[in-house]
Amino acid sequence: MSELKEKLKAQIIEQLNLDYLTVAEINDEAPLFGDEGLGLDSIDALEFIVLLDNHYGIKIDDPAGAREVFHSVNSLAAFIESKGK
Amino acid sequence: MYYVQAISSITHQASFGTDNVFDVLTELEGNAGLISPNYTDYIHPSALRRLSPVLRMGIVAAKDCHAKISAEFDAISVGTALGCLSDTEKFLVTFNKSTGDVISPSAFIQSTHNTISGQISLELKNHSYNMTHTQNNVSFETALIDGMMCCDEGASSVLVGAADEAIGFLENIRSKVIHSSKPFTSGATFFVIGQKKTSVAIVDSVALNSMDNRSSEIDLFLTAHGLDRSAIGYVFTSDGQCMEGFSQHLDFTNYVGLYYTASAFGVHLAHDWLKVRKNHHALVVNEICPGKLGLTLLSSHEV
Amino acid sequence: MEIYISGYGVISALGNNVEETLQSLVSEKSGIKKGTQLHTRRFMVGEVPFSNDELKSTFHLKTAGSRTTLLGMVAAKEAFHGHELIPGVRTGLISGTSVGGMDVSEQEYRRFLVDGMCDLNRFSHHSSGTSTEEIAAEIGPFEFVNTISTACSSAANAIMMGARLIRKGTLDRVIVGGTDSLTSFTISGFRSLMIFDEEWCRPFDESRKGLNLGEGAGYIVLESEKSLLKTKKKPLAKLSGWSNASDAFHQTASSPEGHGAVLSMSKALQVAGIEANQISYINAHGTATPNNDLTESVAFKTVFNDVVPPFSSTKAFTGHTLAACGGIEAVISILSMTEGMLFPNLNHSNNIAEMGLTPVVHCSKNESILHVMSNSFGFGGNNSTLIFSKI
Repeated sequence: MSELKEKLKAQIIEQLNLDYLTVAEINDEAPLFGDEGLGLDSIDALEFIVLLDNHYGIKIDDPAGAREVFHSVNSLAAFIESKGK
Repeated sequence: MYYVQAISSITHQASFGTDNVFDVLTELEGNAGLISPNYTDYIHPSALRRLSPVLRMGIVAAKDCHAKISAEFDAISVGTALGCLSDTEKFLVTFNKSTGDVISPSAFIQSTHNTISGQISLELKNHSYNMTHTQNNVSFETALIDGMMCCDEGASSVLVGAADEAIGFLENIRSKVIHSSKPFTSGATFFVIGQKKTSVAIVDSVALNSMDNRSSEIDLFLTAHGLDRSAIGYVFTSDGQCMEGFSQHLDFTNYVGLYYTASAFGVHLAHDWLKVRKNHHALVVNEICPGKLGLTLLSSHEV
Repeated sequence: MEIYISGYGVISALGNNVEETLQSLVSEKSGIKKGTQLHTRRFMVGEVPFSNDELKSTFHLKTAGSRTTLLGMVAAKEAFHGHELIPGVRTGLISGTSVGGMDVSEQEYRRFLVDGMCDLNRFSHHSSGTSTEEIAAEIGPFEFVNTISTACSSAANAIMMGARLIRKGTLDRVIVGGTDSLTSFTISGFRSLMIFDEEWCRPFDESRKGLNLGEGAGYIVLESEKSLLKTKKKPLAKLSGWSNASDAFHQTASSPEGHGAVLSMSKALQVAGIEANQISYINAHGTATPNNDLTESVAFKTVFNDVVPPFSSTKAFTGHTLAACGGIEAVISILSMTEGMLFPNLNHSNNIAEMGLTPVVHCSKNESILHVMSNSFGFGGNNSTLIFSKI
């Protein structure tokens, strides 16, 4: 799981263009969206959908419904594992 | 008269934050790049990450103007001929190479021409009139004409500007879109016009889509303002042609390179040349696209 | 100074001209269907059923251009039909477009990506400004030519700028509106935002999922009263109000309270010098995206104090024609007044639950329509409102 999370953080940095952050600076539990987190927004939510499709073959049809999945690195990793990826 | 309250440029000259850009002009060399500020001083990293060069330049030049005046903008009018080329190209590559149904959206949402003016309004939380003009080489002049109209309609502080960016692909189509060997470059110039008297004003600007010849149009324009060529102290032009009867002129594309809205930097040069001379006139002549002429007249005053 | 409308022209999935467009509206026949071209055939779109060669031959177009330009030429020609270039009547053309010549550029760029070979000449049509110059070459020449590119509010903003130039005294007459064609670029773009409906769109419906794209062009001719004395054209209606404001909330989404829309609608009423309760009909922006239709409804309730006049989105007829929509919907708004009709919001079953607003669902005749409000809202929070008034 922790290997997945490290890989995921690197993919997040690349897909979302977070070039000012390192993998070490992304906390597993911290909220990704909103001001208290990394400040990501609704366009980033769509980029997450692209990331999940491109890297893990997971398709999400409803971005609004998937917000909980994108809450943190932990929730994302748990979701990916639950899909057997 | 539309008095210039503040002005800012990011170009291939050391223009940003410089008190007088005319004084620091140096001829553009080979592969000299944009002289940019440290963008993180002006834009939060989480916003900056998405921003292409033209967006960074436009937002920061606008914010620089905003910092210099003590009022919010009543209107924002921007000219850009080719818009957000980097994001346009990026999205062309993205969707052409995409194999599935899911496509990355970031480049698309920033590819519309009005992303520059829209991002300015977002950064400044400005709710006023916001317009983007895209008429090739006279995009700046039509943006200025619109800005002047806003002042006539009662606006007291109007942001007018222009920005364009170069991408590598432009070199492939050089001979198809422009007959010049000058290097394609990027640049942004923004300024604020209003009624509060300052030492330099925009008197008038025109954008002509069809004309007989440049010389007679220039003379008609000057005559309409009670002037002739001898009354113009300096001409800032997109090439050196039709300058008989003018005492001094320079080609601004020799300094900032070639982008369709470079005449906005011509206005910055005119402004800075004028501000240290009372009661003078300067003219900006733009015929980057043959047969399409932009003319802007400025003057300086006692305050 | 009054601004009169003395010509109109339109081409879209509803028809090739004003008369055909009216017939489709009255018979409630949508132009949205499965596309026929390589890049549109998977999707429900509002396509104009002519190839580019057919557009040139059918409408006798002599100037070369991209599809965006050709559509613009057709509609601008219809609008300017019967007008002449008269010395002393200073005439301009202001066109809104977001696509410009991208319909051509994207084909060549794809070839370039594949093997580095393409017809570089065709990129000469790319820029937005060039598409307007090509239209001007077809029906002009004109003293003043300009292009406005503010995404989906472009044509509305072109109309507004034309009116202001007449009021300022710079022009006497101006052809204003906009044009956009269907492209892989825009189809892929709206799909990437996941606001694209694979089925027929449902504006202002609780179950709406997103938009259908369309293509087309719409232009009107504005004149001052003094100009009308010289051109001797009979005016159709007046353009009495206009406004543009920024939402300044997000690049692609509107603020929950529809702040920019409230500002543009309120200010347009002020410019027109009328009260909100004098609006007979609103032609809404109504793209059928979850965000737009909700926030536009919120804005309606705010501006109209909960007493919202009859409203509809005609985008279930035409598709969302992007930059052209303000021009096409200007023509529809004028028809609403001149024909005394309210045009329906097709494909509506259930109101948006939290709003409880019911749009016009069937074409209704013998209506007294004195003032029509038309909204066009673009990316970057660019909100524009026009008000047309009966003479």
